[in-house]
Amino acid sequence: MATIANPGISEEDRILRVWTPILLRTILIVSAIVLVVGLFLMATKSPDNYVTRFHAAQRADFIEPTTFVQLLHLAAAGDPHSVLMVGLFVLTLVPLARVAFSFLLFIRERDFAYVAFTAYVLAGLIAGMLLGSIG
Amino acid sequence: MLEILGGLLGLAFAAGFVGSLSGLGGGVFIVPALVIAAHMPMVVAIGASLISVVATSAGASVAFVRDGWTNLKVAMVLECATVTGAVAGALLAGMIPPVVLEFLFALMMLQSAYFSLRKQGDELVPHGDEIARKLDLAGDIPDESGKTVHYEIVQLPAGAALMVLAGIMSGLLGIGSGALKVMAMDYFMHIPLKVSSATSNFMIGVTAGAGALVFLSRGNVSMSVSAPVALGVTAGALLGSRILPHANARVLRLVFTVILILIAVEMGWRAVKGI
Repeated sequence: MATIANPGISEEDRILRVWTPILLRTILIVSAIVLVVGLFLMATKSPDNYVTRFHAAQRADFIEPTTFVQLLHLAAAGDPHSVLMVGLFVLTLVPLARVAFSFLLFIRERDFAYVAFTAYVLAGLIAGMLLGSIG
Repeated sequence: MLEILGGLLGLAFAAGFVGSLSGLGGGVFIVPALVIAAHMPMVVAIGASLISVVATSAGASVAFVRDGWTNLKVAMVLECATVTGAVAGALLAGMIPPVVLEFLFALMMLQSAYFSLRKQGDELVPHGDEIARKLDLAGDIPDESGKTVHYEIVQLPAGAALMVLAGIMSGLLGIGSGALKVMAMDYFMHIPLKVSSATSNFMIGVTAGAGALVFLSRGNVSMSVSAPVALGVTAGALLGSRILPHANARVLRLVFTVILILIAVEMGWRAVKGI
């Protein structure tokens, strides 16, 4: 259980306040770069494909690659659409990464109440991913 | 391609800018912008919005967390509630008819408008209740004169219940549900408004992230729409947060509340027409 009295800022709070912003900013910058590269590739390699997909989206018609592994292969080969998808995935992993970071920190600090909270949130995020791919 | 891309970037930039200036977040503005101006179906708009809300939450949190405005422990406890609601909401979003979604969206916009008008001062409580003490949730913030103010927290279960609702709305509608989150913390848990706002912003990352992961893994995200929207909203929100300290907050809030009500009426009307 967490301690009841807490004079000043605890060590775990201090570590979280220093590292969470760094983690958030780094992932944001990486994903923004990937997205800009993806849009640039799209504009130079297959602008017509972009327009086709835009109009497909207006009809709620999603033409997407099938598996994640396949997607990574396509992205590595410079397929603009897959690069965009990877960029968006990286961006969505921001919250997952910072919760995972706090989870590990709470384990190290043996603050078990918060280990349980962060574990639940992590499980929820992962469950969302799995349920989405099934349903 | 460039006209479409430019249009989406511009639209998203404007939504991010207005969202950050009004303090209501990008989602409330980007969903109607995509539906009304870009003729996108609700499901595409919601997916694109969820992802961009993750980005703006992370962007704004950098400074709030570093400067100590975000109550990280409160966020981590309440995130258990929002993540549960968000996954449920995102799963339901695929099954609920768009008409119902548009109608709910209009309702949530009205709630945001009401909330932004009734924002008031902080009512601090002298003692936290037992759960709050056990979980060590209380915090300290500086007041205007730089003195440290200590705040205690009460009614965690009531706050958490409202957070489940906020999560469901977020997953269903692609918004951060910031207004609902702040209300839960400020009104029920007696957390100072500025801490409530910063903490809500931080939690929105997980709420929207959970919804976005459901949409992404289901293949319900249009890259050609979501990529420029995420970039545009983030850039707009960054500019908004730079301008915000120099703006007249009360006038801004009034103007945006009127815009919000107008959009709510438009979305409600679309829902009625669709029935």
